[in-house]
Amino acid sequence: MAESSPLTLAHARHLLRRTGFGATAAEARSLSGRFATRGAAADSLLGFKPSRFRPGGRYIDDVHNKWIAYMAKTRLQLQEKLVLFWHDHFACSYDKVGDLDLMRNQNRLFRLNCKGDFAALVKAVNKDAAMMEFLDTVRNRRNEPNENYGRELQELFTLGVTDLLGNPNYEQEDVFQIARAFTGWTYDDKGVAEFRNGRHDYQSAYPERGPKRIFRTTGGFGANGADYTTAGEGPQEIDTVIDVILQHRYGPGLRNTVADHIAYKLITFFAHPSPSLSYVTDVVDASGFAGNWSIAGLLKQIFVHDDFYLSAGPASAGTPKSVKWPVDYAVSALRLLRMKLHGRYQETQGGSYASIRDHLTNMGQVLLEPPSVFGWDWELAWMSSSALLARYGYARDLIASRDGGAGSFQPAKVLDARVFDLTDAGAIVDAVADVLGVDLAAAERAALINYLTNNAPAAAVDLRDPDTADRKLRGLFGLLLQSPAFQLQ
Amino acid sequence: MAITRRQFLRRTGLATAGALFGPGLFRSPWLQQAMASTIGDRYFIVLFLDGGNDGLNTVIPVSGGSTIGSGAKGLRALYEDARDNPSTAGGIRILNPLVPTPGANAPAMLDPNTGCQLGFHPGLASLRDMYEDGMVAVLQGCGYPEYNLSHEVSRRIWQRGTPLSALGSGWMGRHLATAGYLGSDIPAVNIGSSVAGEYQQTATSVLVFDRLQDFGFPYDDAYTGDNGAKNAAFTALCTAALANDNPGMQYIGGTGNSTLTATNAYPALHAQYLADRRPWSRRYSGDNPPGLNTSTARGFREIAKVIYGVARGMLPSSLSARFFELANGGYDTHSSQGASETNGGHYRLHAEVADAVKLFYQDLADMASGASMGSGLADLPNKVTVLVWSEFSRRIRQNDSGTDHGSQGPMFVIGGADAINGGVYGNHPNIDPNDASNGIDDDGNSRYSQSNANPQRSTDFRDVYGTIMKHWLGVANPQPLLPLDSDLGYSGPHYWTAANFNLGFLP
Repeated sequence: MAESSPLTLAHARHLLRRTGFGATAAEARSLSGRFATRGAAADSLLGFKPSRFRPGGRYIDDVHNKWIAYMAKTRLQLQEKLVLFWHDHFACSYDKVGDLDLMRNQNRLFRLNCKGDFAALVKAVNKDAAMMEFLDTVRNRRNEPNENYGRELQELFTLGVTDLLGNPNYEQEDVFQIARAFTGWTYDDKGVAEFRNGRHDYQSAYPERGPKRIFRTTGGFGANGADYTTAGEGPQEIDTVIDVILQHRYGPGLRNTVADHIAYKLITFFAHPSPSLSYVTDVVDASGFAGNWSIAGLLKQIFVHDDFYLSAGPASAGTPKSVKWPVDYAVSALRLLRMKLHGRYQETQGGSYASIRDHLTNMGQVLLEPPSVFGWDWELAWMSSSALLARYGYARDLIASRDGGAGSFQPAKVLDARVFDLTDAGAIVDAVADVLGVDLAAAERAALINYLTNNAPAAAVDLRDPDTADRKLRGLFGLLLQSPAFQLQ
Repeated sequence: MAITRRQFLRRTGLATAGALFGPGLFRSPWLQQAMASTIGDRYFIVLFLDGGNDGLNTVIPVSGGSTIGSGAKGLRALYEDARDNPSTAGGIRILNPLVPTPGANAPAMLDPNTGCQLGFHPGLASLRDMYEDGMVAVLQGCGYPEYNLSHEVSRRIWQRGTPLSALGSGWMGRHLATAGYLGSDIPAVNIGSSVAGEYQQTATSVLVFDRLQDFGFPYDDAYTGDNGAKNAAFTALCTAALANDNPGMQYIGGTGNSTLTATNAYPALHAQYLADRRPWSRRYSGDNPPGLNTSTARGFREIAKVIYGVARGMLPSSLSARFFELANGGYDTHSSQGASETNGGHYRLHAEVADAVKLFYQDLADMASGASMGSGLADLPNKVTVLVWSEFSRRIRQNDSGTDHGSQGPMFVIGGADAINGGVYGNHPNIDPNDASNGIDDDGNSRYSQSNANPQRSTDFRDVYGTIMKHWLGVANPQPLLPLDSDLGYSGPHYWTAANFNLGFLP
């Protein structure tokens, strides 16, 4: 059984890398030393108590930067990976919301609910003021229903457009009927949702209260669909809608649609982009997610499954890799190099002196301002020439930081002192690759040896010479951060 | 498993990268030959209005014409029924559409079906001007069978050129791949942060950037003498990745290599453009004189720079891009769409795009003025066309202050007066909610209740693509690249079973 499978050192590093932002060799040794099995390690990672952190600051740049700084600093790495996931899943942009406090509140909402009850999370998002602004719940009126939230609730947050077998999960009538249930909501000056019966009380062919029936043709509810007003009308209706959606089933075995959809998406985030169907069904069945809705329980099964470790080794045809998100790339580089960004604008100090927010903008990911309700496009969409160039520039800025203090990169801080006594170029390359957790193929290793020795591979390298160490060691770190292999995990 | 229409279109994963180009359909040698590119010294630009542009408030019925379908009303009366909402402040009825004056190059802007006078949204004054100059073809009612109301799904359908999920590549990507471009070529440039869906393929390189000037490789300034060694090592790492069996490594290695190549050539091009054309550059974004300074205008300026460099032969032939894409976002006007006020959301979007396109063509004309025959710059406006599309239009009836997702919508093909046949093509959609006999829902699709009805398309968007391929890109037979629904194994009664790649807007 996967849960009791022994935790190898390589698997420990993979697990930490995927559940946090970068993993050092020392962290991996510590985890594998403390826990003998995958199950015990996963329990340990998932055992945290969510923090109440809420990013402060006067402007959106500050809020953004404080969140990034927290990711780089906190020991609750998995918590922040999850907040990032939910921020993408329930994508919501300051660009439309226009209120910093509402964005901050939502950020903390994701943190407090990051691994708890999924049903409670969706119900909380229903009433989250930032989301009510972003998807127009506050503009959804009884005689002119605004379908924005009703559609995305189904398409993105819970069911998906189709089930995993490719069949539609809902139809336009369901969008419309659910939109009707969400009328009457607004929020007070503290950002707390409130229901005002008859708030939009003018004449209409579509009374906002009254019978509603959804999923007549989908969801395994039978020909009559699901009548969700029998449980009562009024403010509780929007909770009831979620309860009904969570009953939606598909396929010959009538599997739970939402459970499989959310499990699929979490797997594509934490493991790899094209999981087998059995990986999805195994973890849903083993965790009982389709009923207990425990996110932590589901995550544990994802982390102990054999398929989770398919992507642990060096990239090859049979090793399905994920592209690091820009935030993951930026924060993990900081943690692996043991350096901090500088000042209120969280700048890099060695080259462009750009703020982290500008770096991430160029890489294609500005937190709190996702491009649309779909969140960001993942995987190879991150790997355009301009986005890659932004990563190359960020890497250069980090390794060229020499100003001293926490904002500078000092190779001696991350390399064992004995490395500086090495004269063999191959051994030096291996030591640096180990710091960054890159598994080098032979051709990549040869290219870096050639770089170190200026194309004289047999030549000795003298790192005790300060000029050589500063020039070539920093250069080596930079090339590895820029290498195709480091973009993947 | 039978092909289903609304397949779950998962986020592009690494595994998809190897399969982007689909199952061998386009790899046969005869096809390669048939597809040989004859774009010659022309250029092609795709402009995407991201979010679903409200077509009903883009090309607007003004007056006159016969009743539509079996209904009793004309288009203007139906339009006022749908959009005139005096009870709601911020209603979106348009009061004064801009009616172009017919001229030598521009026929009157009339709906071909009903004869109703049409006009442009007040934000589209620049487009009206270009229409009068014979530079705009309006293609009404563009859509596809059994439309989808999801942004993501519909966008992919347009980008891939099929509502069936059989093809993983983009319609322009398939053209590039079969036109013989190699992995070391850069035939296409996208302005933005990621490769646009219509350009997706794995045969050749599509460069993506926001600004040309930022496109230099970052080196550690403390040791410039080490740059050559770093350049060589970086190239070797990318080449090693290209040889890896992992499709993601291959993709990143290939993109890394072409990025490095471009970083050597593009900053120089930017400097040359500024040296030669600084006054024009400022019109896009400058303070003195005040430029448009919108993201669309700045995007067009980057395209103008590349075209300038290519036309003057300043770039190596492998970097001489002739295909471009840029997008303007914000069309998802569920709320705050605004009426004809200049501060309305839709007005600003329209003005941004129309003003930028007009300036771009003025820039091209200036580049061409005085150029000698045989120069790449000669007659430049007639060598460039822009295709404008959006993933869907919006609902006939407005909601409180905006519009929800809809079906078909207008496209535009813009180009030099000698390059295109300006005018109106395709019929204005039947927007009569009471005209049941006309099947208000596309193909009488019973999924959509009458209360949420969306009008039928008059033109399949793939006929527009095919016309461009055949008459602008010189593809003798575009059909293998734009397979009929029946070719892909689906033949319902409403499907696209006969291509018409001679829609007439290109000679």
